[in-house]
Amino acid sequence: MPEYKGLKMPAKASVEDMRRIHIEPVPDDQKVEKAIQYLDEMRKKFRSFVLAMESCVKCGLCAENCHTYLGTRDPNNIPTNRAELIRKIYRRYFTLEGRWFGKLVGAEDLNLDIIEQWYSYFYQCNECRRCAHVCPFGIDTCEVTMIGRQILHWLGIVPKLHADVGAAMERTGNHTGLTKPAIVDTLEFLSEEIKDEFGVDVEFPVDKEGADIMYVPSSADFLLNPYTLMGAGMFFTYIGANWTIPSTITEAGNFGLLFDQQHTMRHNFTRLLHAAQKLGVKKIVWGECGHGWRAWKMYLPGMADLPIRWPITHIHDEVAYYIRTNQLKLDPNKIGRPVTLHDPCNYVRACGMAETLRTVIRACVADFREMYPNKENNFCCGGGSAILFDDPEMYQLRIKFSQKKAEQVRATGVGRDGNGILCAPCSICKAQLYPMVEEHQLGVEVKGLIDLVGMALVWK
Amino acid sequence: MPSINVNGVEIEQDEDGFIVDPNLWNEDVAKALAAQEGISELTDEHWKVVNYLRNYYLQFQIAPMIRKLCKETGFSLKKIYELFPSGPAKGACKVAGLPKPTGCV
Repeated sequence: MPEYKGLKMPAKASVEDMRRIHIEPVPDDQKVEKAIQYLDEMRKKFRSFVLAMESCVKCGLCAENCHTYLGTRDPNNIPTNRAELIRKIYRRYFTLEGRWFGKLVGAEDLNLDIIEQWYSYFYQCNECRRCAHVCPFGIDTCEVTMIGRQILHWLGIVPKLHADVGAAMERTGNHTGLTKPAIVDTLEFLSEEIKDEFGVDVEFPVDKEGADIMYVPSSADFLLNPYTLMGAGMFFTYIGANWTIPSTITEAGNFGLLFDQQHTMRHNFTRLLHAAQKLGVKKIVWGECGHGWRAWKMYLPGMADLPIRWPITHIHDEVAYYIRTNQLKLDPNKIGRPVTLHDPCNYVRACGMAETLRTVIRACVADFREMYPNKENNFCCGGGSAILFDDPEMYQLRIKFSQKKAEQVRATGVGRDGNGILCAPCSICKAQLYPMVEEHQLGVEVKGLIDLVGMALVWK
Repeated sequence: MPSINVNGVEIEQDEDGFIVDPNLWNEDVAKALAAQEGISELTDEHWKVVNYLRNYYLQFQIAPMIRKLCKETGFSLKKIYELFPSGPAKGACKVAGLPKPTGCV
């Protein structure tokens, strides 16, 4: 882990890593000047950012509502203080009082130390937007984090994890670097697993031209989440869909949202639209991925370089529709274990999916217990925006970030007998919670929501 | 950048100890990487996991699904954690000379 004046920070991408994602890192002696120039561009472009810079009265409501502050008690993790790391620079260069009175009005000259502080604290923010949800002024501090990360990206400062994902996406069309033979091999393996465990024949068509539905799963499902893929395959087979998985974009996520919305995110959008065009599909259905669903649902329409001729829906909405119209037979007693639901932040605070998740989970399990607070008031898992760093000190932070979630799960009692299920229908949540339920000894197994659908289906 | 010297060859590693060039891997490199992981001796059971991962990687340029690794080796996930305390991805894949997995893993 890089050391910088006692700041905690994830391993940084090397110069070569950055070049792979089209960035020539700015030399140290030009970083300050460049950062101010980028900040100027961003403030002129984003009114949401200016609102955050100009309107905060430091009421402090965000403090106790932020799980990273609750877990670490580091004052710089209070959302308004985190934003202040940029606000004091904004004030210095772009306000009259800051230019005239400097420190007297809380303005500060930018220097390399502050840029390193941005890197440390903007990558301790999970971009969960719980602070935005409670802010009486409607300030979305996540927008400040996003702009901070965008400027850092342009300067050449990105965590190695995020930069490697950007490079893998460009190389293979997915975050984990799956090749088409690996995709096909894994799906054939899962067909056999479904036959063994559920006794039904399920095929996973890849790159099938003329399919009606293009299903875009998370690439992490191919390594870590077998039941999520199996559940999706069983669902599409059950409803008799003519469907396919595209090998050119086997990725529901879009890390561009998290570090480079201007190029990386847009590039992934274009890739998706090309895939849909080539396969001639009628509809695109999204897999389990929280930040990705926000990117594709909320950002794609405004950022795509090509017209969007296809409806894009989420698989949870599809399943909920089939449940509401009585076209899906599910036996809630098949999964005889207590289950609680973690609401992924991007689903509930950005995409209005809280009720959809409940329609599905109530149909799948008999013993469903809510955790509190929930729905749009839910706390983040502590992995949000892919803070999945495993360098020892960052890993310790992840444990602290998930402390609030652990308290919530414990309070439901689902893990009391050690056989509970924590349903977390998002790949980042899963990757965070798999180790965290062990660290906090919660007595639960982490599963997706489509996993439960597959397990509860009653076949004719 | 850290590195390990195996039989006179300097092999570059990333911050997390994964070898940068998977082509430089051989059995002696595996032993050296295992030692860094705190595994003093690679038993037949270790080799079963390492060889499966290695061959899968050579064929598909990526690690297999963990469920498949367990099925094909006949080891439970718990057993794999006993063999490689850092787990299948960060322990076993590292010893087998695979690159560090990226994404939500």
